[in-house]
Amino acid sequence: MLESSVAARAGSKHSELGSSIMAGSGKPFDRKKRLFAMNRLFRYICIASAVFVCLILFLILILMFRTGVLTFRDISFADFFLSTNWNPMEEQYGALIFIFGTFALTALTLLISVPLSIAIAVFLSVFVPGWLKNALRPVLDLLVGIPSVVYGYLGLTILIPMIRNVTGSGMGDGLLAAALVLTIMVLPTISRISDDAISAVPRKYSDASYALGATRFHTVWKVLLPSARSGIMYAVILGMARAIGETMAVVMVIGNTAQLADSLLKPTSVLTSNIVMQISNVPFDSTWNYALYLMGFLLLVISILMIATVRWLQRKGVQG
Amino acid sequence: MKWFKQITIAALIAVIGFSSVHVADAASKLQGKIVINGSSALLPLTLQAANEFKKANPKVKISASAAGSITGPQAVRKGIADIGAVDWDATKDVPGFKKFDGQVAHKVAVIPFATVVNKNVGVSNLTTKDLQGIFSGKIKNWKDVGGKDAEIIVVNRTFGSGTRVNFQDKALAGEDFMTKGDNYKEVKTSGDMKTAIETTPNAIGYMDLAYVTDKMTALSVNGVAPTEANVINGKYKVWGYGYYMTKGQPTGAVKEFIAYVQSAKFQNGSLKKLKFIPISAMK
Repeated sequence: MLESSVAARAGSKHSELGSSIMAGSGKPFDRKKRLFAMNRLFRYICIASAVFVCLILFLILILMFRTGVLTFRDISFADFFLSTNWNPMEEQYGALIFIFGTFALTALTLLISVPLSIAIAVFLSVFVPGWLKNALRPVLDLLVGIPSVVYGYLGLTILIPMIRNVTGSGMGDGLLAAALVLTIMVLPTISRISDDAISAVPRKYSDASYALGATRFHTVWKVLLPSARSGIMYAVILGMARAIGETMAVVMVIGNTAQLADSLLKPTSVLTSNIVMQISNVPFDSTWNYALYLMGFLLLVISILMIATVRWLQRKGVQG
Repeated sequence: MKWFKQITIAALIAVIGFSSVHVADAASKLQGKIVINGSSALLPLTLQAANEFKKANPKVKISASAAGSITGPQAVRKGIADIGAVDWDATKDVPGFKKFDGQVAHKVAVIPFATVVNKNVGVSNLTTKDLQGIFSGKIKNWKDVGGKDAEIIVVNRTFGSGTRVNFQDKALAGEDFMTKGDNYKEVKTSGDMKTAIETTPNAIGYMDLAYVTDKMTALSVNGVAPTEANVINGKYKVWGYGYYMTKGQPTGAVKEFIAYVQSAKFQNGSLKKLKFIPISAMK
């Protein structure tokens, strides 16, 4: 930006500016030195900003890991990952309930949301006339922006009584309620990005398919979706990352009980909701605190793995 | 680039302007900032006191927030808060929590705790034995304690809550809570408890009397209703003292604020209206 403005000015007042830079007036702060110094300073600020961000991420990782790993001073590796007995008052820190809960919740969410989202994406990119498309896309974008606590509150006040009425269960809190709330949350993310991916498939592909006599269904199923596959995968993983990390909406509808969810309607707990429920109540230098940090570190590792997968898919998409 | 410079300059002017205003603040009589954290059971009292105190001393800034009781003394120890509200004397060991060295406890109120149920539960009295059975998960149906045939939904506070410590100690006579079950859930604050009890049919929970609304039923325990009079005359046993914890003896605005909460004017006025009980009423 700076360089371009300098160039523009240099163009307009070419003679005097050029000569001043070439000759240098000999003063300690002549134009040439000042420009070069600013140029260098600008570069350093940019580099410093980038380094700063990396440093913060690195420090967070180190802090979470160093605090979390202290858990293993008191309990064994196997106990933490394989035991379902989470009872801090009796020094029992088995996190399997929460790890299982997180994965089960994410899987259930994707099971409901992915088919729905892809259907929405196909509808938006293939079936809808242009004007309606332009009206619907901003609506989906708006949905992405709704704060999660609003979704959670609606889940608590509308969805849970509904589940209670329909299933006849006493509480309604549990994996099903959480998965339905999360579905509504990740739906716009997945469908908008899949929509872009499908729209980006070259027109000639579908033209060729129609020319061969394929129906619209065949064209979508055999041509468009396979061609947009890596883009759709990218959308699904982004949705998955959001579902795994979501806290506020989940904590309001999951029931927050440390028990393994062997039914969709049983109150349970996941990594995020357990951390937010307990972190403010634990003594600072206790195994309990370390175990919560370790769970946070696990979440970080999971999301880093997912981002790496997204990157890998993107590169694959570009090459293929 | 011009707009960028203008915005930067405007921002700088704003920052300088605000900081000079702040300096002007500091010149007045009683000034300071009080951060209060801790027990959500005491929060209604703290907020009310903060409002009145700010009216009398406009230069004092008070910010109050709440989670579980243990947050209070922990925040004070870390230096995050000036006052930590807690439902037990945190200078002594209580079951599950170690004492906090170097902190001073200031008694501010008597908190009566009530056992509450959703409006649809047709029960108005439970014995200590009933309560022990329900909260330990042994009694699962309302018909076993004189109600209709419906499963009991138990709502509990998470570990770290002072209301939970008091309720377990005084209403359950130390009996342990259940930790799992199909109809068991835990909530983080007294406010969450209130929402859960109001909206969940067949639910039972507990909270301090200040949170009880007409959308729920407060139960009698062993035939004694949870009222101020019954706490004072010693018949109703489920109550505890609320404390403000400070790091060492308080000074300045913090000292004045605690003195205000302990003053006869506040204790017999607003505090009573909120369904807390003045400390002086207990013998």
